Amino acid sequence: MTGMDAILQGGLQGYLVVALLLFALGLATVLLRRTLLLQFMGVELMLNAANVALLAFARFRGGDAQAMVFYLFIIAVAACEAAVGLALVIGLFRHRDSTDSDRASSLKQ
Amino acid sequence: MFITFALITLLGALGMLLQKNVIVAGLCLVATFFGVAGLFLLLANPVAAALQIIVYTGAIMVLVLFVIMMLNSHEEEKAQASHPIQRWVSVALVAALAMGAVKLVLASPGLKALAASGDAVPQAMTLQKVGLTLFADHLLGFEVAGLLLLTAMVGAVALTKRNL
Repeated sequence: MTGMDAILQGGLQGYLVVALLLFALGLATVLLRRTLLLQFMGVELMLNAANVALLAFARFRGGDAQAMVFYLFIIAVAACEAAVGLALVIGLFRHRDSTDSDRASSLKQ
Repeated sequence: MFITFALITLLGALGMLLQKNVIVAGLCLVATFFGVAGLFLLLANPVAAALQIIVYTGAIMVLVLFVIMMLNSHEEEKAQASHPIQRWVSVALVAALAMGAVKLVLASPGLKALAASGDAVPQAMTLQKVGLTLFADHLLGFEVAGLLLLTAMVGAVALTKRNL
């Protein structure tokens, strides 16, 4: 399988292209949207893109179980990030009555 | 099959980027996570697919949607100042990054060789294999991950509670 075939039928390159486009969309979400919750979702999307690439490489190296362990660790870190990140968003909302990241540009009240 | 799940994944992500309503954007992200779970199934990895659905759609997205509804911020607020130049520059840079990376992936001879050598379908990943690797080779990492989760939980409570 080469070139377009690999992309359409799910060769290694197809998965990597999907992962790269997912990462780009997540990055665009973080850069273009102003709502903190949406930016947070963009970060989750970028983490997921990395997972897709990792597990695609693992499958094409013969089903490596090490990759699954790292996937588990990535998920644990993502869950921690979700808990702390959302707590920060709630704290910011209490202080400024807004979830807009542009409005949180100064350290003073 | 692959192209179906890939399209679900990418269209969900695009929907999240373009959607005005934050809750609908969150639901688009749920569709993306289901698409990614489908991709994991196609990679002969049902364990990862199940974990993806349980942790991402079942825990993280439920938490995010819960916070969106609690803060009652369904619509994006009006911009204080518009930054058209910055926005266009970021769009151009992200597009250039994506195109360049995709071109690199398609042109790489190493990836082509790896794709050809690993083309045979491997045995499906089982929980037994994952557990053996996790507890035999990465026990310390496992314990640290548990400690990290505990720290994050305590930190989240400390951040949201008004007066401890």
